[in-house]
Amino acid sequence: MGFGDLKTPAGLKVLNDFLADKSYIEGYVPSQADVAVFDALSGPPSADLCHALRWYNHISSYQKEKSSLPGVKKPLGQYGPAGVEDATSAESKDDDDDIDLFGSDDEESEEAKKLKEERLAAYNAKKAKKPAIIAKSSILLDVKPWDDETDMVKLEECVRSIQMDGLLWGSSKLVPVGYGIKKLQIQCVVEDDKVGTDQLEEQITAFEDYVQSMDVAAFNKI
Amino acid sequence: MALRELSSLEKSLGLKKPNKYSTQGDKKVPVLQSNNGPSLTGLVTIATHLVREANRPELLGSTAEQRAVVQQWLEYRVTKLDNCPKEEIKTILQDLNQYLEDKVYMAGDTFTLADTLMYYGIHRIMVDLAVQEKEKHANVSRWFDHVQHYPGVRHHLPLLVVLRNRLYTSGHH
Repeated sequence: MGFGDLKTPAGLKVLNDFLADKSYIEGYVPSQADVAVFDALSGPPSADLCHALRWYNHISSYQKEKSSLPGVKKPLGQYGPAGVEDATSAESKDDDDDIDLFGSDDEESEEAKKLKEERLAAYNAKKAKKPAIIAKSSILLDVKPWDDETDMVKLEECVRSIQMDGLLWGSSKLVPVGYGIKKLQIQCVVEDDKVGTDQLEEQITAFEDYVQSMDVAAFNKI
Repeated sequence: MALRELSSLEKSLGLKKPNKYSTQGDKKVPVLQSNNGPSLTGLVTIATHLVREANRPELLGSTAEQRAVVQQWLEYRVTKLDNCPKEEIKTILQDLNQYLEDKVYMAGDTFTLADTLMYYGIHRIMVDLAVQEKEKHANVSRWFDHVQHYPGVRHHLPLLVVLRNRLYTSGHH
């Protein structure tokens, strides 16, 4: 989790992407999560980061009631998309002390508070241990040769020679299409963030001596 | 349709006793029958009246400009969005997408009646959109998803899933 360093263009880009389909950092109303991230910025994002800028302008309209917004401020590294290295963990770890989960619950007994804190700490520890889930997809590709004289063994070799980070080739078979022509059906597993079908298609059709065309026959999220 | 919308609006405004409505003509224009005084006709007229009755004037806009913008979108809803022919949907979505790029709500930074009514109005269009089209109009989808989760708005309509599919990464702005 986290946006990386929000003072750098890279961090702002992550924020911009994150906000493309969201109005707030968390949930559907402004909260301390927004304030925390807002405060981490050094100024309004540039105009080409339209989503980040829209959010920035929107949050600045809450400037006056900033402290009364709901929620609890968490360390900055706990917001944002999964899978981005937390760049802030070193500086702000231990501010569990001023946690006040529901705003103004003064009658809360000392014991209950302690219990809550313990659970929260345990939860955070558990969460930290769990690795971020990587979205993967299983894709079935149809690779079609030019004619019945195309060397299918060589074709498969070429396809399997494509290597990318996050790409894993699986089983394959030859399926007759007619007139003695066979197409290659090959399974592969990709990490969604790293490999796209466009990329695959580009690379496979690059072997133009063997490959006439390539289709995605099936696409399943795992 | 419009009647269910008005009763949802009543609920979200927290009005205690439901009003009586009927419809008029082929287009089913809603009419509000009141015990004292003349009846009110038309979705926007009734909705605006309900907001005033609930004593929530901020939903009609808090500055003069915002009030004007809210009014504009309410008008847009009944004149453009309702009964719009299929071939115009694309243009409407494109326009909205561009408009919403730098806005969180229809009328800027606060939630207004324009959001509620535009949401009710555009829901039937969003239902039919393919994932790819939702992705293409990312700003509309974001606004839509936001409003449908906004406390108390979505009553009679089913929740739509708006998710970002990383398959179509090209060209969303």
